[in-house]
Amino acid sequence: MPKHDGDIWRRIAWRNLWRNRRRTVITASALSFAFAAAVLMIALMDGMLEEMVSNGTRVVTGQVQIHAQNYDPERSIHDTMGGRGGLDVAALMDAVDAVGGVTGAAPRVYGGGLVSTGDESAGAVLMGMDPAREEGVSRFGAALVEGRMPGPGEIAIGADMAESLGVGTGGEVVLVAPAADGSTGNELFAVSGIFSLGMGGFDETFALLDMGSLQDLVAMDRDRIHEVAIAVERTGDAEAVADRVEEAVAGLSEGLLTEPWSVFQARLYFVTSLAAAMNTMIAVMIFGMAVFGVANTMLLATFERRREFAVARALGTSGGAIMRIVVIEGLFLGLVSLAAGAALAVPVVVYFHEFPLDLSRFVGTYSMMGSAVRPVLTAEYSWDGPLVSALALVATGIVSALYPAWRTLRVPPADALAGR
Amino acid sequence: MSDEYAVRTRDLWKIYPQEPRPVEAVRGVDLMVAMGEFVAMAGPSGSGKTTVLNLLGGLTRPTRGEVWIEGLEISSLTDRALAEVRMNRIGFVFQSYNLLPVLTAMENAEFTLLLQGVPAPERRRRVRELFSEIGLEGMEDRLPPKLSGGQQQRVAVARAVLGEPALVLADEPTANLDSATAEALLDVMEKLNRDKGTTFVFSTHDPRVMERAGRLIRLVDGRIENSAVGTG
Repeated sequence: MPKHDGDIWRRIAWRNLWRNRRRTVITASALSFAFAAAVLMIALMDGMLEEMVSNGTRVVTGQVQIHAQNYDPERSIHDTMGGRGGLDVAALMDAVDAVGGVTGAAPRVYGGGLVSTGDESAGAVLMGMDPAREEGVSRFGAALVEGRMPGPGEIAIGADMAESLGVGTGGEVVLVAPAADGSTGNELFAVSGIFSLGMGGFDETFALLDMGSLQDLVAMDRDRIHEVAIAVERTGDAEAVADRVEEAVAGLSEGLLTEPWSVFQARLYFVTSLAAAMNTMIAVMIFGMAVFGVANTMLLATFERRREFAVARALGTSGGAIMRIVVIEGLFLGLVSLAAGAALAVPVVVYFHEFPLDLSRFVGTYSMMGSAVRPVLTAEYSWDGPLVSALALVATGIVSALYPAWRTLRVPPADALAGR
Repeated sequence: MSDEYAVRTRDLWKIYPQEPRPVEAVRGVDLMVAMGEFVAMAGPSGSGKTTVLNLLGGLTRPTRGEVWIEGLEISSLTDRALAEVRMNRIGFVFQSYNLLPVLTAMENAEFTLLLQGVPAPERRRRVRELFSEIGLEGMEDRLPPKLSGGQQQRVAVARAVLGEPALVLADEPTANLDSATAEALLDVMEKLNRDKGTTFVFSTHDPRVMERAGRLIRLVDGRIENSAVGTG
């Protein structure tokens, strides 16, 4: 077959599309709504997942952490970064701060102990930290319902713990904790603040101390820390940032392990991955249903034109070219629907992103995988959802056209011309 | 097989499998049409005229027998090869014009040229030239519904002959036209036959066409009853 101007097939397909304007508009509307629904649903789901991940990682853990390689899962007091000799914490923090994508980094020391006042006592996870640096990583500071973050000799405790101990800001508690040298440290601390993260586990068991105070209590040198928690700009970038951090700190000490939240919050990661997979499934189902509707329309449209196709074939048009006309028509239908669907979806997604719908009147804050989720309907911007939906939409148009096109070619031209 | 014939068939049969009995639409037709002939096939409805034309044009395959177009046996060709034969060697004119409704008169007429890969300026030139010869000047940009029946049929004839086929098959081309328009159309086809040597084979039961045919073939019940030199 000689080469010819492919433009003719596009021209025929485009004009055919608008021959039955009403039918095309109805079909394109159905596809547009399917696209808009898929994009909006994915954006809302992404919003919920982002809320989960954000709360799961921005409250305490950060999105990237550095530990000594053998720190997890026992989290022994002895397994500090750089071993028992420790490392240059200032140099470490400088190296982390310099990594692109890092928005905050906080060094931490952990211990376990008993917090007592009067006759009351409670087991506690003691976290030694730098209040200024914590501001960029965790939400303890923002969650203070009373007082302020602790300075030397001070402690901030969770609201539930404060209630069970019957202590408030300005009160005193005694801390008893096993120390790194085998002794038992005990010290009196003034309660500087009470925080409420809205997550039972933390509010009941967490106690914050100035890092130096905790190091003194558990007999650890200043250059011994257990963790650096790192915040990144986008949770989705955590793995890339973790790689860069790992590279940046590699020369500072042996045996440092840098992990993104998907590793140290594996359950949360599993749930969000599952939800993301469900997004794809739902999009596939939506467009899977649309395929049948559009195929039916295309079948009708091609059936009505079987005589025209027969004429074109009688004139020497190849089966492939006929197929191309029908498929291009399906492609155009997909593209028109995509434009209309985008016009429909974008403003709604932007609205829900800018003005999240507060459903707290109907549902309270709930916790999932250790992450507090607010009852807020918010849309998250992402390219993945719209891109997958757009591809699915265009593929729907094309796939829907394939069967009718194939059917058209099966009928000999003479039969189609005779209306058989 | 010799090339002196535009069309040649041997023992051509077309049987449609149908209940309760298969229909024998064409029964052992042996036909020879020389290059440049202007032949009419006449016969009552159901005599097999359209089926013979479809077989000659490769629009349907014979149950048995052979068809040669310019010496090329086409009944055993693949669909793709058949499409190529139709594009390069055969032009069709249908009873109900069958222009592609989304294309203008110009685009319809140049369709075969486009398939043949003729460059756009050359296509346009040839269409305009022929349109002016057959009275379609100024109609180039009209869509088929904006043309009269006669104009549509002339566009169909232009489409059939512009690719310079050896053979034009016309299935009752004047059936839907009034007398004056039919005569004008026959003038056009006769002129093309005379000037360009294009071979025409018509099916018809229009006496005006039969009168002007160079040869008249009568079909009855799928068989050739007789073949006689016409008065045209």
